[in-house]
Amino acid sequence: MIKTIDLKKIFTGRGQTIRAVDGVSTHVESGEVVVIIGPSGSGKSTYLRCLNGLETLTSGHIIVDGIDLSDKKTNLNLVRREVGMVFQQFNLFPHKTVLENIILAQQVVRKRKRDEAEKRARQLLVKVGIAEKENVYPGHLSGGQQQRVAIARALAMDPKVMLFDEPTSALDPEMVGEVLEVMKQLAREGMTMVVVTHEMGFAREVADRVLFMDHGKLVEEGTPEHFFTEPREERAKAFLKQVL
Amino acid sequence: MAAGLWIATKKIDYTWRWNRIPQYFLYHQEDLQTVPFDGRVSRIDKLGDKTIVSVISENGDEKNFEIDTATLQVDVDDELLVGDEVGATLHWRAGPLTLGLWTTLWLSAVASVFGMVIGLVTGLCRVSNNITLKQLSIFYIEVIRGTPLLVQIFIFYFFLGTVFDISRIVAGISALAIFAGAYVAEIIRAGIQSIPKGQMEAARSLGLNVPQAMIHIILPQAFKRTLPPLAGQFISLIKDSSLVSVIAITDLTKSGREVITSTFATFEIWFTVALLYLLLTSVLSQVIAWVERRLAVSD
Repeated sequence: MIKTIDLKKIFTGRGQTIRAVDGVSTHVESGEVVVIIGPSGSGKSTYLRCLNGLETLTSGHIIVDGIDLSDKKTNLNLVRREVGMVFQQFNLFPHKTVLENIILAQQVVRKRKRDEAEKRARQLLVKVGIAEKENVYPGHLSGGQQQRVAIARALAMDPKVMLFDEPTSALDPEMVGEVLEVMKQLAREGMTMVVVTHEMGFAREVADRVLFMDHGKLVEEGTPEHFFTEPREERAKAFLKQVL
Repeated sequence: MAAGLWIATKKIDYTWRWNRIPQYFLYHQEDLQTVPFDGRVSRIDKLGDKTIVSVISENGDEKNFEIDTATLQVDVDDELLVGDEVGATLHWRAGPLTLGLWTTLWLSAVASVFGMVIGLVTGLCRVSNNITLKQLSIFYIEVIRGTPLLVQIFIFYFFLGTVFDISRIVAGISALAIFAGAYVAEIIRAGIQSIPKGQMEAARSLGLNVPQAMIHIILPQAFKRTLPPLAGQFISLIKDSSLVSVIAITDLTKSGREVITSTFATFEIWFTVALLYLLLTSVLSQVIAWVERRLAVSD
């Protein structure tokens, strides 16, 4: 589904060079849930943002559903509508109601009729458990509710892959559960997901595969049982000792 | 201070004639009705305020005049010569101050619309990644902000007006719109840049292209935030429009000057003109405050 080959993303500025993603090669299968973990600044968010072209790559290839993002001729907008993304800061559109947030891209990008888009939006709001809030503005919702709306907004495009960029990091602890529950349900339904998170419990329970990144490099890769019980690499061991 | 001003005004022996002001807003004009031939008044029918006077010429032609009863000047059987007055019809006419106010209003409105469009386009160029567009917009903004509006109006009228043969109205409106556009551009740029980056990223991640994201996501939010400074800019534009009176556009200011030359009621007229500008600007303020309240529902 998503294949990355020797992906590099190098930021240069003010005389500094930061190798945020430094030669990552991996493969996400259709229907697979991949969780990326690693210390802050390890490049996991940057890697995720490369997958839908929010960051331009310095070198290497990303092939999403057979389309190479590094090809200059690729229309990124066509790729992005197949790749949903959920952000740490939700990034809901504050001037639109919950329902309008979910139908906007359906109408503008997918060219759906308004009633069709509304129907899909209401289905998804039921699914994420906030059907009663459809006419509320995002500013009046709690963090957990906003994040669930953001998930519904991404799902409304009927994407083939969902990317989650630390979806629970900006939430109060009591709201983390409700968002993770929605994500678990999605995973059970067979959605292809790439999740950057610090929620080790979620990684253990839901992930098919765990990627551990440090300093822009993919250090270790394996099933959750393997990774959480007997990691090979010293850096992974040190990291796990701190977070568990 | 008010008392001091009042005593000082007393000292200079100025006669206030506020009663002469209203006629420069609205006055009753008499249109005299005259007979086109020699003849005799055959009949007068009074129908309340209106009166119909029938005149028969020596050849037997009959002509009816409808006039206002109060202005009737003839009796039945009066002999009339060509050009004699039968009476007059009265019409309410807008005075110079009303016409000037109207000119200022539509001139400012048209200049605001064009100013907004120019500002929006320039503001978008200013934040674009295209170096040429960016540099051009910076150049335009710097040139306009760095020169006085009065000089710009003169250049538009005397130079561009002569070279391209454009009328004073077009020259005046263009100068105002291009002046306002430079300031609006900076306001729009600040508004766009104040929207968190995540908004554009969220829009792009849903598959919207940059223009779609601008139209649906960024600009509506930026517009809401920039409404207060934009209001200030358009209020300035109404006031700055008084400068076009120097190229002989009969706006409110020029009308005031014209009325003064025929009345010498200098103080009253300038106070009146100031009040009229205040009226326009406060109505605009109220309208914008209303829009702001409407947009505040999503807060």
